Amino acid sequence: MEIAYFLGCIMNNRYPGIEKATRILFNKLDIQLNDMEGASCCPAPGVFGSFDKKTWASIAARNITIAEDMGSDIMTECNGCFGSLFETNLLLKEDSEFKGEINEVLSEVGREFKGNINVRHFAEVLYNDIGLDKLNELVDKPLNLDVAVHYGCHFLRPSDEVQIDNAEKPTILDDLVESTGARSIPYKDKMMCCGAGGGLRARDIDVTLSFTKEKLDNMSDAGVDAIVNICPFCHLQFDVGQTEVNKKYGTNYNIPVFHLAQLLGLALGLGSDELTLDSHLIDSAPALAKLVEESDKVTGGE
Amino acid sequence: MSVLERLKAFFTRPKSEVIENISDNGLNQSKPMKTDDLQYKQTYSNTEETDNYSSKKMNDSQNLNVIDSEKDSKNENSVKEEKAEEKVEVKTNSKEANNKKEEKDSMTLLKDNEKLTLDNVDEDFTKLFIDAGIESLAVCFQCGTCTGGCPSGRRTPYRVRQLVRNCLMGLKDQVISDDALWMCTTCYTCQERCPREIKIVEIVKKARNEAAKAGFMAPAHKATGSFVIKTGHGVPINDATKELRNRVGLGELPPTTHKFPEALKEVQTITEITGFDDLIGFNKKTGELE
Repeated sequence: MEIAYFLGCIMNNRYPGIEKATRILFNKLDIQLNDMEGASCCPAPGVFGSFDKKTWASIAARNITIAEDMGSDIMTECNGCFGSLFETNLLLKEDSEFKGEINEVLSEVGREFKGNINVRHFAEVLYNDIGLDKLNELVDKPLNLDVAVHYGCHFLRPSDEVQIDNAEKPTILDDLVESTGARSIPYKDKMMCCGAGGGLRARDIDVTLSFTKEKLDNMSDAGVDAIVNICPFCHLQFDVGQTEVNKKYGTNYNIPVFHLAQLLGLALGLGSDELTLDSHLIDSAPALAKLVEESDKVTGGE
Repeated sequence: MSVLERLKAFFTRPKSEVIENISDNGLNQSKPMKTDDLQYKQTYSNTEETDNYSSKKMNDSQNLNVIDSEKDSKNENSVKEEKAEEKVEVKTNSKEANNKKEEKDSMTLLKDNEKLTLDNVDEDFTKLFIDAGIESLAVCFQCGTCTGGCPSGRRTPYRVRQLVRNCLMGLKDQVISDDALWMCTTCYTCQERCPREIKIVEIVKKARNEAAKAGFMAPAHKATGSFVIKTGHGVPINDATKELRNRVGLGELPPTTHKFPEALKEVQTITEITGFDDLIGFNKKTGELE
């Protein structure tokens, strides 16, 4: 199996450990990740989608044509990128008039949207194409972690179009997290947004932080060791945003944050170095210490 | 008080004041004690504008004692509150004879320039949404499920139901000039729960497109737009990440527009053709925002 690997912005330009873990994981799974050379920002739905639909769809369609030329589906591990690319792909496939309008723009750069591939999310590929059993087999050391799963918004919604899982009470990500041995802990208002999207983080950080604080309060009440997400923007919001919440509200939150790819990386036995956990503002050490404790227990008894 | 000022106050004032401000706005949904207070506000007026005005009016006539007595009676039913309302008018009237005449004639606390008339309706604005394929706008029956589930509405003046209604009515100026329009994170909770399956987030984005066209754009958003024009990325790479990428063997630059200048040119051509450069005021010659 081959897939066109769409990077986006925040993962590759801020948290490269997510990209590294993904490349190692897919290598083990025997799925070839092909680089989409010259791809750009998806572009961000909150800024471009809110400003000018035509520009937004044109840039997204340009990215899609790169994968069309490669003859394979696109995979992204960012909810925002997934939202922009999936939505544009569907829109242009269904609305021939709008497709004509966008292709007029694309013809100026020698491209044409054909509409012959699909846009997929990393988590959905793992769940549907690889399967939980195979993932479980890969796990080198089961992770003894209590985890707050954060779905984010643009992975499952709008559910009428995306149709991956129930948008109010999904299980797909919890199942994936638990395939590593970690436990997904229920918490209040789990499906709530992190607060970063829709251009809000850039425009009104105070409102964004108020969202994030509510999430952190609820996660903390549930007593988790870490937050697991599937979107680098949510990831950034829980990592950088957590320090901002502490500063603004005088709280002292220190909940490590992992992208699902990094969590799977830990389960494969990758070190924090490769996962670039040192690029996180929130120290991952407490969660890692719990893992080491557990493995000591096992070997100590042998 | 404008929406912007309220929001500012929300974050800058001491806690006690903020709570007061919230209940003023009918925002305090988390405190059951205040429900009667909310009810009162609703019977008193149906829109934020009239609400603002009514409280301002009372302050103007220095009937603060009346407001206090109303606050004390917040546990009582709305019939009593209506009486309190009458009391306000009586006191106002006794103090300001001119106002009495005006109010008697108009039977409203709204000033002329605050009343919505058909002149405020821009049918073309409504048509924009229909033409954009968001026909579902027309079947909204204002149940409020959207606002009820909105995480932004819990903390900001953003009211989805009101936005949908205003778009349907064609109240263009109200919609595009409202800062709260930008308080939506596009989380889709409203849309997922809408019993009429209205594409609410599409409405929000379309309304924002119109607001952007009319010049209501935050400098921070223009800046993000300019990053994409300059680098192809909304969040471009930095030195620290280059080092990290090298360390884990990914190569200093990702295989994106960062690595392929001709690809970046394609993106720049697109933003120029679609008019995005002009929209955000990006000057291609200087390579900066104007």
